[in-house]
Parts: sequence; C-alpha cells; structure tokens
Amino acid sequence: MSTGDGCHSDMDYSDDDCGYADYYNTAEDCDSEQINVVKADPEYTVCDYLRVEDVERLLNESVETLSNSLQVTPNVAKVLLHAHQWAVPDIIGKYRAEDSLPGLAVAPEPADNSRFLRCSVCLSTYGAEHFRGLPCGHLFCKLCWATHFEVQISQGIALDIGCMAQDCKVLAPEDFVLNLLARPNLRDKYQQFAFRDYVKSHPLLRFCPGANCQIIVRAKEARAKRCVCNTCQTDFCFECGLNYHAPTDCTTVKRWLTKCADDSETANYISAHTKDCPRCHMCIEKNGGCNHMQCYSCKYDFCWMCLGDWKSHGSDYYECSRYKANPNIVNESEQAQAREALKKYLHYYERWENHSKSLKLEKQTLQSVKTRIHLKVMNGSGTWIDWQYLLDAAALLAKCRYTLQYTYPYAYYMEAGPRKELFEYQQAQLEAEIENLSWKIERAETTDRGDLMNQMDIAEKRRTTLLKDFFEL
Amino acid sequence: MTALPRRIIKETQRLMQEPVPGISAVPDENNARYFHVIVTGPEDSPFEGGLFKLELFLPEDYPMSAPKVRFITKIYHPNIDRLGRICLDILKDKWSPALQIRTVLLSIQALLSAPNPDDPLANDVAELWKVNEAEAIRNAREWTRRYAMDN
Repeated sequence: MSTGDGCHSDMDYSDDDCGYADYYNTAEDCDSEQINVVKADPEYTVCDYLRVEDVERLLNESVETLSNSLQVTPNVAKVLLHAHQWAVPDIIGKYRAEDSLPGLAVAPEPADNSRFLRCSVCLSTYGAEHFRGLPCGHLFCKLCWATHFEVQISQGIALDIGCMAQDCKVLAPEDFVLNLLARPNLRDKYQQFAFRDYVKSHPLLRFCPGANCQIIVRAKEARAKRCVCNTCQTDFCFECGLNYHAPTDCTTVKRWLTKCADDSETANYISAHTKDCPRCHMCIEKNGGCNHMQCYSCKYDFCWMCLGDWKSHGSDYYECSRYKANPNIVNESEQAQAREALKKYLHYYERWENHSKSLKLEKQTLQSVKTRIHLKVMNGSGTWIDWQYLLDAAALLAKCRYTLQYTYPYAYYMEAGPRKELFEYQQAQLEAEIENLSWKIERAETTDRGDLMNQMDIAEKRRTTLLKDFFEL
Repeated sequence: MTALPRRIIKETQRLMQEPVPGISAVPDENNARYFHVIVTGPEDSPFEGGLFKLELFLPEDYPMSAPKVRFITKIYHPNIDRLGRICLDILKDKWSPALQIRTVLLSIQALLSAPNPDDPLANDVAELWKVNEAEAIRNAREWTRRYAMDN
C-alpha cells in the first residue's frame, strides 16, 4: 500500500538522525511520485515510527530546552511539560511573563532536627529528619511515603501520584518518588509507567495499538489521520487509536461500534452467508468480495445487497447504498417508529458488515491473484513485472473498500438534508466504481490492462473526492 | 496474618475511648480489621430514629487504600444501592491516607443528612428524589420505620 511505503521511508530517514522536516525540505531529489501520494491522498499524514529510545531522547530534548530557558531543574521541567501537553514555547511564555513558578517552590525543610514529629498516617513519632514533604508543606514520614507510592504504582499510577494530605492536589515529581522508593523493581515499574504517562500527555505521540508492539508514532499534526505501523502493520487512527475510520470521525465511530456491539445480535440473522438467487432461487454462497453477483445456474446478474437487477446499479441511478426513510414516520405509532429505527440501523449495519466481509474475501482473492500470476509467468505469458498491476489493483481495491465501509457509520448519524444527500450520492458513486473494480479484478484474465487501470483511477478519484470533502469540513 | 499496624491499633483504641456521638464501631473478636458499625439516623432527616448497621473492613494496605464500607440495614437513599454499597468520593478517588475510620463514618452520617441525587447509585431512588422529593422522603421514612427501628 502506498501509505505504508511512505512511512517506511520516513523511518529510514528518522533513523539517521535527521527528522522528517529535513527529509521533506530536501525532497526535490527524492522520488517525486512519493510526494504526489502525500498531496493526493487526504488521509495521508507524515509520521515517524519511533522506538522507545528515540522517544526518550526526544522528550529529554524538550526537558533540557525548558530547564535551560526557565532555569529550573529537569524534574520541575518534566512536571511542567506533563501538565501543559509539552507545549514548550507556551510554558516559557507563561512563566517568563509571570516571573514565578507557582506551586513549584522548594519543599520545606523541617526546621529543627532535634524536634520530634508525629506522622498523621502511621501515627508514629520520629525525629524530624525522617520526614519529607512536597511544596504544599504536608509532612509525612519516609516509610509512609514509600508505602503510599508502592500502593499507587501497583495500581498503575505514576505521574498522578499526589500528596497524602486530604484534598491536597500537589503532585509528586519523579525525583521525589524515586528518592523515597526502596524496592528496585518498583523503581523500574514507576519509570515505565511515567514514560507511558509522558507519551500519553504528548499530543503528537501515540503508542501503536498493535498487540505487543513497542513502536511509538510521532505525527506532524494531531489529527484523525491514518497511520500504518512500520513494524506490525497495524492500521490505526492517530487521534483515537482505533482502526482507521475516515470519513467517520472519532466520536461517531466509537458510538457506532458500541451500538453495533449492543444491537448486533438482532442483526445476526441477516449476516447469514447465503442468499437465494432472486430469479431461479438457487442457493448462493458469496465467496468473493464483489457485490455484483452472477448466478451460476441462470446467469442472472444481481446485487448481493438489495437482490435487485444489477443493470440498475451500473448507471447513475446506483442507489443501493442510500437509506430511504419513510417521510410520514412522525405520524405513525410508537411501534412503527421503533420498527423504522431498527430498519434504518439494519440498513446501515448490513452494508457496514457486508463490506467488512468483502474486505476479508478480497484478501483471499489477492491470494488467488498471486497464484494466477505465478502460473502465467511459469507458462511464459508475460514476465512477473507485466502482472504487477494486478497486485496494485487488489491493494487499491482494499483501500477503497475500507473507506467505503467507514462511510456507513458516518451516514447513519448524519442529519437528513442536502449535505447528507450529497454525501450519499458520493458514497453511491464510490460504491458503484468499487464493485466494478472488484468484478474486473476477479476476472482479470479476460479484461485488458488498460481498462483495469482506468477503473482503478476512477475508483481512487471517487475515494479522494469523498474524503477531501470530509477533511475540509 | 501479619501483625496489626500501629495505626490500626491506635485508631481502634481511640474509637473505644472517645466514641463519636451517634456512631459505634466495634472490631470483630476474630478479626481486628473487621468492624461492626451502627450509625444513628441524623436529626431532621428522614432517617431520624433509625439505627443503621454497617460493616467496615480495613484492607491489607490500609491506610494507603480506603476502607471498604457497606450498609447491612436496608435504606432508601439515592447514593446507596440495594446491596448497601455507598457512593462517596472519599471511599474512592478522593481517599487520602490521612483520613481515618472516624472521619469516614462521620462522612457517611453526613451523607444521610444531605442526599445527593445528582450523583446517584440507586437510579430509581435518585429519579424520584429529583422529580418528587416529598414522596421520596416519605418512602425513606417508611423504610427507616420498617427496617431500621426495633431490633
């Protein structure tokens, strides 16, 4: 996939210590096709895929900059950075102007070392030298601090560990915790959790959501754009970490997924894998991704989604993706309205689910395309490179169908009106072209290359048009 | 079981020697971390005249973690559910190791005087408390009479 390739090269460049900014400034002598991908695909965003060490170095640079320009210790700088989402210039501006660092005064020293104090947590009395406190001035014995930290760390809390006094909101900086923590394994744990907290508070960093993947992605801008991990290939949204979902936005896709998890038992009967041919009633199992079906028995061409004649799907009247609401519904009974609501949800859910299945089936198609290419090459009909376009076509099909799948939750939550009509028109156009492409790829031996390339171009144009509209919202 | 921390011994002693008015907390004879608690319903509240039984347990890492407290007597209150579980911030995220058994029980008694239907645990009770406070208070009185008086 082109986005994936783009990210790989980013990684290569970030490895030799020059950031993506340098890479794109000196881009003239780079592959110009690469740049076109960046410009043409609205989903694409420039990002680096970093290892833990790289990120540690990156964060330390910010800490150093801040501690130098504000003349504070690195630990104070870390607290400030964590609290202000790592916006170094903002923090410098704010504290330079105020000329003070509120809440970061030096911790109070117990005045008299011969004095005895009672710790209000363990109720024991010790010499004052056994007591420690944060800038808020609440003193507790070292043992209680250590136990407090142990309990908090065992619950996965690190940078949010606070003072033990009631209603006191002062947080404990890293060095304060580490100095009082006795057990070495907890110190390691604390540092791991603290690192996690730093990354999570940084708006331009996100952990790759892939299982056991150690990669941290750095984006140029904090937007809902597509990231493909260069190590585990997980495809996710930078903003929310879920599977990538344009044109649906982060909140809507979360709502949709929750709704589907709750309601889909009702929809399960629909997702049975077989349907009867609408003309000869032969039972048909869908074993490919394309929704343009042709009955093996009677050769009738029909649409898998609506079971209507495929002829009406090829033209401008492709309306299978559009939900036709009953305009008179407000005057109907409560049951009728509930039925209509369920019908509407099922319409979108069926299509969402169907495209998701098609994606999986088309992965199998890709495998068979590879086998087919292998056979062709072995039989001397062309070289391997002659057949590459078929693989490109399959990759493009997956990309387009993925976007198409995520248009359904978006459309479901859209308010009726001209915007929705326009969106559903674009969606229908995209869907029609995708089904054409899928049909052509599955039968690639009989269609010529030019035709397929043309179809690829049309489908991708439809996809980017729909997305561009969304990103410009 | 490990030895009882000094803090728990001290707190128990003080609870025995200077009990909080309207509250009694007695450690179980077999388990010094388990307390049998009785809270009297505050005056001028629908719980007035009732004696409410609670159980209180100090977990292993007390006081770094909050005690576990639950009503045993049935009570009609928007922040206490059918199982007697209590929705109170200091028992959850607002816990501080500087709080004590006595402060927790005082807070619970205060919760009886000032129910908070906007942060409900028992949804049906909270709903009624918001739309028809008079009826909710009548119900609370009725439950107090039925479950928290005599015995």
